[in-house]
Amino acid sequence: MEERKIVLSAKDVEVKFRVRDRYLTAIRGVSLDLYEGETFAIVGESGSGKSVFTKTFTGMLESNGSVTRGSVMFHGKDLTKLKTDKDWEGIRGAKIATIFQDPMTSLNPIRTIGSQITEVIEKHQGVSKSDAKAQAIEMMERVGIKDAASRFDEYPFQYSGGMRQRIVIAIALSCHPEILICDEPTTALDVTIQAQIISLIRDLQHELGFTTLYITHDLGVVANVADRVGVMYGGQIIEYGNVEEIFFDPRHPYTWALLSSLPQLGEKGKELYYITGTPPSLYNEIKGDAFAPRNEHALKIDFVQEPPFFKVTDTHYAKTWLLDPRAPKLEKPEVIRNLHEKIQKMTDKGGAFHVE
Amino acid sequence: MEADNNLFEFADFDELESEHIVAPRYSYWKSVWRTFFKNKFTVGVAVLLIFIICFALIQPMLSGYSPIITPNINNADMKFLKPSAEHIFGTDHVGNEVFDAVWAGARNSIIISFVCTFINMLVGIPIGALWGFSKKMDRWMIEVYNIISNIPFLLLAMILSYVLGAGMRSLIITMTCTEWIFVAYFIRTQVMIIRDREYNMASKCLGTSTWTMILRNILPYLISVIMTYVSRQIPSLISYEVFLSFMGLGLGTTNASLGQSISMYTSYMNGYPHLFWIPVGVLAIISISLYIVGQRLADAADPRTHM
Amino acid sequence: MSNEKNGREVILSVKHVDISFEVGHKKRFDAVKDANFDIYKGETFALVGESGSGKTTLGRAILRINPCSAGEILFEGKRISGKISHEEDRNVVRNIQMIFQDPAASLNERATIEYCVSEGLYNFHLYKDEADRIAKVDRALESVGLLPEHKSRYPHEFSGGQRQRVGIARAMIMDPKFIVADEPISALDVSIRAQVLNLMNKLKVEKNLTYLFIAHDLSVVRFIADRIAVIHRGEIVEIAESETLFEYPIHPYTVSLLSTVPMPDPIVEKSRKHIVYDPSQLDQSGEKRELKELRPGHFVLANSKEFAAYEEKITRLEKERAGR
Repeated sequence: MEERKIVLSAKDVEVKFRVRDRYLTAIRGVSLDLYEGETFAIVGESGSGKSVFTKTFTGMLESNGSVTRGSVMFHGKDLTKLKTDKDWEGIRGAKIATIFQDPMTSLNPIRTIGSQITEVIEKHQGVSKSDAKAQAIEMMERVGIKDAASRFDEYPFQYSGGMRQRIVIAIALSCHPEILICDEPTTALDVTIQAQIISLIRDLQHELGFTTLYITHDLGVVANVADRVGVMYGGQIIEYGNVEEIFFDPRHPYTWALLSSLPQLGEKGKELYYITGTPPSLYNEIKGDAFAPRNEHALKIDFVQEPPFFKVTDTHYAKTWLLDPRAPKLEKPEVIRNLHEKIQKMTDKGGAFHVE
Repeated sequence: MEADNNLFEFADFDELESEHIVAPRYSYWKSVWRTFFKNKFTVGVAVLLIFIICFALIQPMLSGYSPIITPNINNADMKFLKPSAEHIFGTDHVGNEVFDAVWAGARNSIIISFVCTFINMLVGIPIGALWGFSKKMDRWMIEVYNIISNIPFLLLAMILSYVLGAGMRSLIITMTCTEWIFVAYFIRTQVMIIRDREYNMASKCLGTSTWTMILRNILPYLISVIMTYVSRQIPSLISYEVFLSFMGLGLGTTNASLGQSISMYTSYMNGYPHLFWIPVGVLAIISISLYIVGQRLADAADPRTHM
Repeated sequence: MSNEKNGREVILSVKHVDISFEVGHKKRFDAVKDANFDIYKGETFALVGESGSGKTTLGRAILRINPCSAGEILFEGKRISGKISHEEDRNVVRNIQMIFQDPAASLNERATIEYCVSEGLYNFHLYKDEADRIAKVDRALESVGLLPEHKSRYPHEFSGGQRQRVGIARAMIMDPKFIVADEPISALDVSIRAQVLNLMNKLKVEKNLTYLFIAHDLSVVRFIADRIAVIHRGEIVEIAESETLFEYPIHPYTVSLLSTVPMPDPIVEKSRKHIVYDPSQLDQSGEKRELKELRPGHFVLANSKEFAAYEEKITRLEKERAGR
């Protein structure tokens, strides 16, 4: 991991929003290094700050929000210092592209699919109209649009939801970005389409070699796509590591809770594990561990002092006092012990999720 | 900082603890007033408006002004006086105090516009709410609306003033007999926007009757837009009144009204412009402040501003 | 009771129901085609399908929100679809309640929680006096894990999970026999979902309820459902006991749906095959399909040729499993 090249490095980023007369601290000091060619997934619930954090990479924070601390380094430039659209030219949509949840919001409903793709190609690559069209059709074929040439002049409403998301991907990739941010790219789609879109993004990544940053609340998607995972809660990354480490050896009680409450792991007739209460209000200053009030394993110190990151392995860190040598030993909940064996059993022949 | 060792013990955990809502209790009307009074300018205008309305209601009782009582009509020294300490707004062509005339006129104009708005809302809101709810009713109500809205207002005003004679009663009838349907139409459109929202379907599944739904599910959502409507309707009815009186279809020459005054004083525009501009100015101040206060109230009534 | 089947009491029967909507000029869109199934008293019956499959439309037809264009729906043996008397309509409202998908959209934002929960009580005057009503509301809130102090709050002050529990409390206070739960957890955050599912299971046992649980995700219904019907483009393609459906998924669409359930395991998930449903694999002879009983209680949509193939498949699977 050490020799791998870092493409983007966020350090101690803090983002505040001004809402009427109050300040909301949406991101409370988050650091993240993205390695070239990897897929990093940020998991979190709504309000955890996962979208806001990645918006600082493309300068798309809402106008009442701003980065109040920290830096985001990309190609030797601090992205938090960029202000105008002109500053962002050549980065946003070019080197760092984003795919959003609802494809309809990124497409212009009254322009043809073809013209929307060629526009991006022309703008970023400065090629002629006919070349741009040829490239656009090629891109459409690449994302799996059959008879792309004949569908070139159709409008977004003539495409199904899954097809639209494919077009959005084509537009995002048509200027060969280095980083692709996928903000819940499949949440608005049907389950059977979801799998197709995810594998499309993965195939294109292998082919084109970009770095992918997934934002999702769905641990199933994470398991499928990610090399590394960061779990966000209350505006902070509270645990990160390789995907196997997060699923098979999680250390933060919040990660435990997220995994344990998955209905896939439920047994009929038994209660599912669940977390009580609600995420913290980010209007107030958070003292100690943000998850403490909902954490049945909370220590007294969790209410007093914010935990630092404790090292589990070279690649795996968790922000919980439970890893402090002075803390009592506590094993993860029963449901997620031997997770791999359990899941393997479910998907093997005769298991509930086995298919052939 | 070295943390204390006994801090590394499990804390007590109460499941219900996290269900408490710590935010202060929300109250709709309290929030409306708080939002409204937060803006100093709005409060200033509201105070001015209340003062004007109170003054317009009280002052005429003290002065006993009437356009047909003209004690100074033969006293040339009392006519066309410029505004001064003694005669605040000066005197007019018959030697009456313009100050008295304007306030008596304002009183009638305000009363008429408030009464008409009240009647229009009282009739228009329930009919409009039902209209928006019932698809069957919509089919024939829309025809009724098309017919009524195509009757020229001036024609109607002329006919009614000939049939009923001049006076406050006939003016109120003129300004309400068709106007309510515009209110109803406006409410109908608003109801249709929120009628099919899921919470209404939920109420239906709980067996809630149409009227209860209108009262509990629909109208509370419309408070803000209704206030906006009222804040435009009152000033616009004042100007209707002025317009009709100006055209001679209003209160008639025996009653004071701002329209009456403006119409009367227009002839002296060249020699004594203050006679014309003072009632026009008072009219403008009343209309604008009514409008501002209404709009700000409507804004405050919108819960999105309560954050 | 006369409405018994296989020794179990049928609470609701959907009999060959079609539901279609007018779209544009004289064109009709068939949202549901020939839906035909029974729901037994005390069970959780899941209806699983993608958006636009007609699952919500069918659920709402049971609540008399959408009219059926053919067929009929029976509740406790009495027809509740089409024109029925006012008393019968009130009876349906009283006994069949709904839990909505989006708790933010389905609560009246301008009413207090007390009113939201009392609404049904008011409509049927299900209380002796004010004190009795308050006591009932308190009990309903308590049963869903909320506090009496929440009564005077407004919906927007609550989190998504709490709001959904208010929605459940307001349905439960009517003491219904049957509940249509339309994707009750899909709008909620992952950490809250489990709590709502547990709560629904608990209340089902306590109050002897029957659920029609509408979902788009097989992983959720495996935990909660006794029987599952899979619906695709308005047609029910497979019905089976929950265990059977997971053990012997027969219809290619069910198999595809099952293969797309994400598993929280990077090793398994990365090697997993996602099977795409391709209707052209089905028999193209044009012979009419209908739900046929493959094994007792296990129905699959098929024509005669497909049925033979499914029969072969299930026999093979049974042998394989028995041999292990």
